[in-house]
Amino acid sequence: MNPNDSDASRFRSATADRRGERDLDDLLIHVARGDQAAFEALYDRMAGPVYGVIRRVLRDPSQSEEVAQEVLLEVWRTAARFDPAMGGAATWVTTIAHRRAIDRIRSTTAAAEREHKSADVSPPHDEVAEAVEASLDRERVRRCLESLTEIQRESITLAYYGGHSYRQVAELLQVGLGAIKTRIRDGLIRLRDCLGVS
Amino acid sequence: MRFFRQDLHTLAGAYALDALEPGSELTRFNRHLSRCQSCASEVRGFREVATAMAFAATTEPPAEMRDQVLAAVARTRQLPPEIRTHVRPRRTWGAAPWIPWLSGAIATAGIVLAVLFGFAQAHTQNELNQVRAQNQALAAAQARVQTALNQAREHDQALAEILGAPHVTLLSQRTTKGGVAVVVLDAAKRQLVVATSGLPALPAGKVYQLWLIGPVRIVSAGLLPTAQAGVTTPVVATGIVKGDKLGLTVEPAGGSKQPTTVPILALPLPV
Repeated sequence: MNPNDSDASRFRSATADRRGERDLDDLLIHVARGDQAAFEALYDRMAGPVYGVIRRVLRDPSQSEEVAQEVLLEVWRTAARFDPAMGGAATWVTTIAHRRAIDRIRSTTAAAEREHKSADVSPPHDEVAEAVEASLDRERVRRCLESLTEIQRESITLAYYGGHSYRQVAELLQVGLGAIKTRIRDGLIRLRDCLGVS
Repeated sequence: MRFFRQDLHTLAGAYALDALEPGSELTRFNRHLSRCQSCASEVRGFREVATAMAFAATTEPPAEMRDQVLAAVARTRQLPPEIRTHVRPRRTWGAAPWIPWLSGAIATAGIVLAVLFGFAQAHTQNELNQVRAQNQALAAAQARVQTALNQAREHDQALAEILGAPHVTLLSQRTTKGGVAVVVLDAAKRQLVVATSGLPALPAGKVYQLWLIGPVRIVSAGLLPTAQAGVTTPVVATGIVKGDKLGLTVEPAGGSKQPTTVPILALPLPV
């Protein structure tokens, strides 16, 4: 961020608080009006989670970088379509990121490449995490995931971080489709309560 | 029926984690979601959980990515906001009931959709004039597509027919080489319209060829026209059978009888 850029410094304080959802909403509203400094500030807040979640799903660093770039550009391009009534800016951005990662693995060749690169489907180990300073989010989510039953936790991590459809999760865990749907939903309800999501 | 609803409702979790495969289940759940207030609020809550999981996965991206994204931003035009229904009365869209949903999805597919959208909405000159009177910005956008539209409609009855069909499904997917394909699928008549945006330019002597890739056979669905400003004009494909995917490959000029390269797109077609 350019320190001489007054527009950018206007948003600097917003980064002080950890998530500051409302500030992110404001940033995105400015981005929608074509404010590039606001986009820079938004980038600095969201590039880590965007790249991180894509990387978790795709694993391959260069593919992940490519998809993350597309996502961030899509955020710029479509910012005017953001509707705060449908959820916060952080959710909007990370939802796009996760969906694009999924889109990427659902295209056949990428799927083949990915299987080639990593045949295992175990929850991702922390090669990535090591490189990043411990965050409160990480700790909170880890603690809440631990409060789930094993099957709830596995279903949710395989679906979200593993990028598997619930049918694939059912196959991997050798559990019926109906049971998996229920486990995912029950697990998410528990996580929601544990994380204090309203 | 009651059981069925209940069953649909439990999909809220999988849906929020993007764990529903594209197809009829996802379409059904989306439809359900637009009518079920409690499901929508449950999905919102679950998405916040997913957001926390994304933040927990925070990873420092490669340093050069910032400059690249900011440079791309500096040369990329933003999409205008969606014009809400109060400035465009529903009756204007009577001929194409899928327009409200389409406009929601427009964000993902950008300019390609803008083209298809334009094709679909200007059904008659009269409607166009009404809209124009109501909203100048919209009218300007329509003016840009109008010429292309009139030409294509005259030449292509099939195209006008699909885009005006009462029940169509909108699908879009990125290709593995970048760019996006957008499909308007008329499942009842087993036909579709496809357009693409942002596919990489090909060297001389190569073309993009579309395929219907089924469980037992692969048939050509024709060649993609050369892109104009990154966008290919819509192509119609017919004779889709259950289990078909729309495929796209790079082939030698003139096309091939069967694909000779790995598809860069394989989009399931729910018919």
